[in-house]
Amino acid sequence: MTPEPAPEKAQPAAAAANGSALLAAKDVSKIFGGLVAVDDVSFGIAPRSIVSIIGPNGAGKTTFFNMLTGLYKPSIGTITFERQDITGRRPDRITALGVARTFQNIRLFATMSAVENVMVGQHARMRAGMFGAILRTPAARKEERRVREHAREMLDYVGLKPAAFDQIAANLSYGDQRRVEIARALASDPRLLLLDEPTAGMNPNESARLTEFMVKLRDERDVAILLIEHDMRVVMGVSEHITVLDHGHKIAEGRPQEIREDERVIEAYLGKAAGD
Amino acid sequence: MLPAAVALTALVIFPVFRDPLDSFLGDSILALAFVVMALGLNIVVGFAGLLDLGYVAFYAFGALATGWWASDFFTGVNGERGIHIGASEFASSLPGVHLNFLLILVGAVIITAIAGAIIGLPTLRLRGDYIAIVTLAFGEIIGRIAQNGDELTLIGDYKFSNGRQSISPIDQINLPLIGEFDQATNLRPYFWMGLALVLVVLFVNFRLRDSRMGRAWIALREDEVAAASMGVPLVKTKLMAYAVGAGFGGISGAFLGAFLNSVNANQFQFGFSIFILAMVILGGLGSIWGVVIGAVLLSFVNTRFLTQLDQGIGNDVLNALGLDFTFNEVKFGVFGFILVLVMVLRPEGLLPERRRKLELTEGVGTGGESVYEARA
Amino acid sequence: MRGAAAVWEFVSKYGLIALLIAFPAYFAITDLSNGEGLTRIGNNLVAGLSNGSIWALVALGYTLVYGIIELINFAHGEVFMIGSFVAFALYGTLGLTLATGPLGLAVGLFVALILSMLASGTLNVMIERVAYRPLRNAPKLAPLITAVGVSFILQNVGILWLGSSQKAIPDLIGAQRVLVDVAGVTISRADVLAVGVTVPLVFLLTAFVSRSRLGKAMRATAQDPEAARLMGINVDTTISLTFLLGGLLAGAAGLINALYQTNVWYFQGFTAGLIAFTAAVMGGIGNLRGAVLGGLIIGVIQQISDNRIGNQWTPAVVFAYLVLIMVFRPQGLIGEETREAG
Repeated sequence: MTPEPAPEKAQPAAAAANGSALLAAKDVSKIFGGLVAVDDVSFGIAPRSIVSIIGPNGAGKTTFFNMLTGLYKPSIGTITFERQDITGRRPDRITALGVARTFQNIRLFATMSAVENVMVGQHARMRAGMFGAILRTPAARKEERRVREHAREMLDYVGLKPAAFDQIAANLSYGDQRRVEIARALASDPRLLLLDEPTAGMNPNESARLTEFMVKLRDERDVAILLIEHDMRVVMGVSEHITVLDHGHKIAEGRPQEIREDERVIEAYLGKAAGD
Repeated sequence: MLPAAVALTALVIFPVFRDPLDSFLGDSILALAFVVMALGLNIVVGFAGLLDLGYVAFYAFGALATGWWASDFFTGVNGERGIHIGASEFASSLPGVHLNFLLILVGAVIITAIAGAIIGLPTLRLRGDYIAIVTLAFGEIIGRIAQNGDELTLIGDYKFSNGRQSISPIDQINLPLIGEFDQATNLRPYFWMGLALVLVVLFVNFRLRDSRMGRAWIALREDEVAAASMGVPLVKTKLMAYAVGAGFGGISGAFLGAFLNSVNANQFQFGFSIFILAMVILGGLGSIWGVVIGAVLLSFVNTRFLTQLDQGIGNDVLNALGLDFTFNEVKFGVFGFILVLVMVLRPEGLLPERRRKLELTEGVGTGGESVYEARA
Repeated sequence: MRGAAAVWEFVSKYGLIALLIAFPAYFAITDLSNGEGLTRIGNNLVAGLSNGSIWALVALGYTLVYGIIELINFAHGEVFMIGSFVAFALYGTLGLTLATGPLGLAVGLFVALILSMLASGTLNVMIERVAYRPLRNAPKLAPLITAVGVSFILQNVGILWLGSSQKAIPDLIGAQRVLVDVAGVTISRADVLAVGVTVPLVFLLTAFVSRSRLGKAMRATAQDPEAARLMGINVDTTISLTFLLGGLLAGAAGLINALYQTNVWYFQGFTAGLIAFTAAVMGGIGNLRGAVLGGLIIGVIQQISDNRIGNQWTPAVVFAYLVLIMVFRPQGLIGEETREAG
């Protein structure tokens, strides 16, 4: 399983892959067994920006996401967040630094209430240890109250109706589950929010509202957003910068207008469609 | 609050109405010890969802702690004069190590919590069913070591255990301000001691369940990937569950060592782990009160009910069926039967915990397959 | 980071193999340096391999079932134990005694083999039907817990049947009679019997699984039960069949073990089960050839431990190997690391 050395080649300067980037991935590859899922991808996100990764199914988008959040360790390459090297760090550490995410197939804690889910999201922001919890020290009690309060605020912020706050996640509607998942991610107070196909299963109306919400988030809460998305209307409408992956390679990047006209991108999508 | 206060008062004064050497009182003390143990296992299996089939290891370490530190096991120590810290007047005249019971409890918790974390460590990267087998293997290894401990010389001439010979007698519990218990004349203090341990452990259980740690346990039980991505450190959180669960096993083991007045390595068998697991399953995985009920029920099934059955109606039934055996002979078959019956008919147990019921009867929250990359 | 991963990979791959070889090698070298020659270790190897072929039969049952429904059939060791008990009971029923002539013995034992296989096979199918099938959609730990329960129930059936101590049974075949002696390394009748029954059964099984229609249905179900169902495979029947096959092999192992050890015991299944499960994991669970290989290896380890360290320590030795393998190489010695979905 020795990874091949990264081929020496000049990368097209990514828009934000320089010192000013909030998060930067440099020459990142992921190899499973002998199969290269992500191949030598460089990538950067500026603070307070909204950027997207698109690509056909199996292009390696989610694998890339999983490396950014620490679920996978890159086989080659480095990832930095706020100029700290986070390559191969544990997911909980990366979350603590300020990266939060949602999942393609919603992964809420199904038997917990909406509030409890969001409280777990704040785990890294809490200090109470074993003994604080057992003795219920004033500090621990105060923290618990603050975290609960914050959870309700977050749920309110994402637009969940208060009646749903204490319902268990499994009983919430699909749209509400998406909301809770975003609230849970926001609760960790991230500087970067990764959304993995957040509009999957939504109608155009709901998608449009989510798009607006993303802009609002960026403006009000000072977070950068990285989006994996299939819905081109959402992608083109909200992204400042788009990166296109195909078979693990970065085949294009640029502003939405540039991507729309890029021949390789069109080919990747059409070729895929023709192949199906 | 009021019913709880009444129930507690009833429990506290109950021994006064029994003969000091009443056998029912003795069996109740055993039940209390098993409640402590089952509550410990419930943290690992019920809260954190890590199926531990080797819980007997912690009973073993807890009991050995009393064996080592409250008997003449280390006879030669300190030029045969012994080491005594807070021991009773009588124990202070004996060779060997004799510590106050409270010190032993602390020591037992420390040993077992460390053992729990060490046993937990290699299971961290494993899937649920493999965790079960690895913990089972550790339980058996520790059982074997205790059973053959007379062949294991540690430092100097000191052995690990007396092997298949029990370590006995054990010092009576001796508490500061209260004084020394005497099991030969009065069992009541042991009952109150057991009850006190149960209350402490219950308190800790409730507090932990409703804390940041408790939420993290449930989160990782339901979806490790999501939990890690939300900032829950998996290693620390799992090891904490193992350590706390083990610590309770150690407390109970130390208490049982003193109460039974001997440490018998032959008890350190797989069947013991399953006995405790059956209490947790019967009562309801994750349900604190359920586990208390399960432990009391099975403990009494073990000490009294089967015997009564054999002397009464059970015997008649078996005879009528032409079967020539007693229920006591097939104790563990009975516990196995309870496991199967509960799992198939009422997997959430007698007094279900809300979440577990959803998981076990409706399959909620159990679909999350792991994409978390294996790493140390 | 990458350096550490490479070291880990190397250690997990070859460290265990080295550790497995080190065990017999150490004793071979001590024997040699004591001037004892290699006779003793040679005998250990022979006994280990023949004993291991019994474990291989039991291990196949674990691996078959795990391969298809990802369940550790904890009661499988007890199915093997019941096989031994049935075999012993059949001695009486079929009138097999020490006085029985060679032809009668051969016919009688063949009948006993078939019947104990059928008994264990049926038992295993019933266990699945009663204790595992109702829980197929429950969390994965639920059927494992019932499996433990069933294992205890069967052990106690064993206690009621033949008591709680080891029972010596007639040595029908003269198990220890030496057939071949090469420079002090002896091969006994029991050794020949164990290998002689195991090898054809393993070939029959692999042929069945790879060639027959039902075998293909099994493999399809193992790959993807949902897809198999859509293709018209009856998944319930296929799972029952898997348990039947596993039970048949355990029954055969039960008979051989009774003839080989000339004693039966209600607790033999617990130890055998864990040894065989270790073998299955060692060979890569779900892998038929691996289970056989694992059985042989663990047989040798167990034999050497019995003979050199003392049999009171053997369970601890086997369990230590089990832990090492599950932790460092859960995919088994010859298994490949499974690729995660990207």
